Amino acid sequence: MKQNLLLLAVASAIFIGCGKPAADNEGATPAPKPTAKSKGTIGVSLLTLDNPFFKIIGDNITAEARKRGYDTIVVSADKDIAKQGNQVKDFIVKRVSAIVLSPADAKSIVPIIQEANTAGIPIFTVDIPCNEPGVKIVTQIATDNFGGGKEAGAAMIEKLGQNGGKVAVLHFKQAQSCILRVKGFREVIDAHNASGKAKIEIVTELESGGAKDIGYKAAEDALQAHPDMRGIFAINDPAALGARAALEKANKADQVTLVGFDGMPEGKQAIKEGKIYADPIQFPDRMGVQIVDAIIRHSKGETLPAEMLIPTSLYRKSDADKDPTLK
Amino acid sequence: MKRVLSRWFTDYGMVLVLFLLCAFFSVATYTEQSATGEVAAVQVGELIKKQFGGNALVVIAVREQAEDVAFAKRLNAELIASGARVLAVIQGEPKDAREALMKIVATGGKLHAIACTQATSEWEVFSDLKTDFPSLGEPVLLAPLRYRWPIFLNASNLLNIANQIAVIAVIAIGMTLVIVTGGIDLSVGSLIALSAVLAAKLIRDCAGGMNATASGMIIACIAAVLLCGVIGAFSGGMITQFGIPPFIVTLAMMLVCSGLAFTLAEGQSIAEIPDSFMWLGRGADFLGLPNAVVLMVALYALAHVLMSRTKLGRYLYAVGGNREAARLSGVPVQRVLMFAYIASALLAGLGGVFMASLYKSGSATYGNMYELYVIAAVVVGGASLSGGEGKMFGTFIGALTIAVIQNGMNLTNVESYTQKVVLGLVILGAVLLDKIRHR
Repeated sequence: MKQNLLLLAVASAIFIGCGKPAADNEGATPAPKPTAKSKGTIGVSLLTLDNPFFKIIGDNITAEARKRGYDTIVVSADKDIAKQGNQVKDFIVKRVSAIVLSPADAKSIVPIIQEANTAGIPIFTVDIPCNEPGVKIVTQIATDNFGGGKEAGAAMIEKLGQNGGKVAVLHFKQAQSCILRVKGFREVIDAHNASGKAKIEIVTELESGGAKDIGYKAAEDALQAHPDMRGIFAINDPAALGARAALEKANKADQVTLVGFDGMPEGKQAIKEGKIYADPIQFPDRMGVQIVDAIIRHSKGETLPAEMLIPTSLYRKSDADKDPTLK
Repeated sequence: MKRVLSRWFTDYGMVLVLFLLCAFFSVATYTEQSATGEVAAVQVGELIKKQFGGNALVVIAVREQAEDVAFAKRLNAELIASGARVLAVIQGEPKDAREALMKIVATGGKLHAIACTQATSEWEVFSDLKTDFPSLGEPVLLAPLRYRWPIFLNASNLLNIANQIAVIAVIAIGMTLVIVTGGIDLSVGSLIALSAVLAAKLIRDCAGGMNATASGMIIACIAAVLLCGVIGAFSGGMITQFGIPPFIVTLAMMLVCSGLAFTLAEGQSIAEIPDSFMWLGRGADFLGLPNAVVLMVALYALAHVLMSRTKLGRYLYAVGGNREAARLSGVPVQRVLMFAYIASALLAGLGGVFMASLYKSGSATYGNMYELYVIAAVVVGGASLSGGEGKMFGTFIGALTIAVIQNGMNLTNVESYTQKVVLGLVILGAVLLDKIRHR
């Protein structure tokens, strides 16, 4: 009996011990100071925090929100819609003043947003929009992905326009943003081909998962199928860097022009080193700041446009050489 | 007495741990909250009467939610009864409030108070009335009183927890059957995806898409669940007929099913499903309890009876305890194993249909890593991976423990990476407890 109780005590200690970080962490988040009372909490569930892009969005939301008197809870959905659904449920229980989402799935998110609508909490999306009927979203802030895709196409033509050649696309079809990027890319390439210049042929469109490892494998396979590949357009930097590794391994880094997307520090560094030819870069920092601004303007009673697009700009080696943030 | 207590602790130690966790999160989420609905309306009504007497000029600002509307209705009645004048009842968003205030400004009206719910009192439109609407006089913002109570213990949150774990808990029933026989089923996560995609696709392509009828949807769901059963039978067959270890067979099936799901869904989520399909996952017809929770409880009751009161239940334990001895005593070992794997796959299929209903779409990404959460729930619940041991009640508690930890950590703002670490440690702790207990 005694032994059992002792064991139980040990076990409880383990569990309580496990619970500890919760308490510590809570102390770390900016508790409403007695002098400047918090105006409310903004719940943020981002697609993933593995990708620095979303990390920057999250950090900027937190910084801007704090500046303007709001607390934030930033969580990662880890690309799992069920997890995101649970996070939103928990936001609703906590009665946050606004919810910011970058949906893990633009369609499956619908009932989750409806749940928040029913609870009367205004919803904002960042980066990944949800354009399904039946949901009420105050405003959607995103990169002009279609325009960015066009810029990527222009960069590819810049390099391959003279002789043309085969091009592969490393896609991530689950994300609406990536579908738009590829659409813009294709449009520019098609226009180029229609004008009768040396043909740039998109020979394959492979799933890259938007990640280095899968991008690597996809690029490797594409090179096997088309040894005379001349260009690769990857829908984000991790996929582009994965492809770069495959190109280096196959000794084809000089033969194939790589165009990425995003302009993450790692991607910019690769552009500086000549590993990626160019990136249409996004501005996640501006997105984070704008979303907080939008939340406050909505709360002030302003009517916001349904969509706010932030344009990209093409970033080449010459820009990287001048960039003070790079080594 | 001592012996009874001791037995109770060894049997139900996890219940105590669960209780301690709940207590911990209750303390950790003890924060300020406000009354809602009619209770709040009476409070605010009293405040206005006290401050301004009978001649108050008031605007009521609420959102469009049911409890907010109830608040506005009751408060309006209270104020009119006390002689106050309600200049406007704003129901909607901050911009509606701005419009209403502008209207009052335009007519040159004055205002004594703006009666808010907790949520609307945070609207920025009211944050600087002096500069934004100087001609209104200096109206005060009145909101329901605040009191302190753990968010964790709100009824809505407790239901939340049960709802969040329902799918995992239901699949954990099947996993318990398999683990009790000494096996393991790694394919359940992929079966969720396959079943969700299949159900959604059948509804879209065969049952008429957005115009699908209830019976069409039911048939599609049953077909999806049955297909999972067939896959479970295939796994069971491989294990019993060819003696391949369950770990390997179900690992292979995990890849096969995940690949099939992605192929069927063509990498997209299938959402062309009527709204009525959400009834299954989101409806709450029985005593206001969500259907998923009702189904979970019913299935556990059924499984508990199966395990403790039937011959099949005893066979399952016998096969897991000592397969050879079971065979020699006339237990149909192969049929019992087949039953366990088919049941596990059917329940995973059911879980998939629920997910599809919950998110009104089928996607091949559903159920990712669920097999591990399900196994964790079973193990935390006290079942032994070497077979022959495990109770349905224990699994239920195990699933709840995992749900409470996840929900509690979300409520206390623990980062999601830290959450994984904690969850891992908890699983380890539970197994450790189990080991020490058996020494």
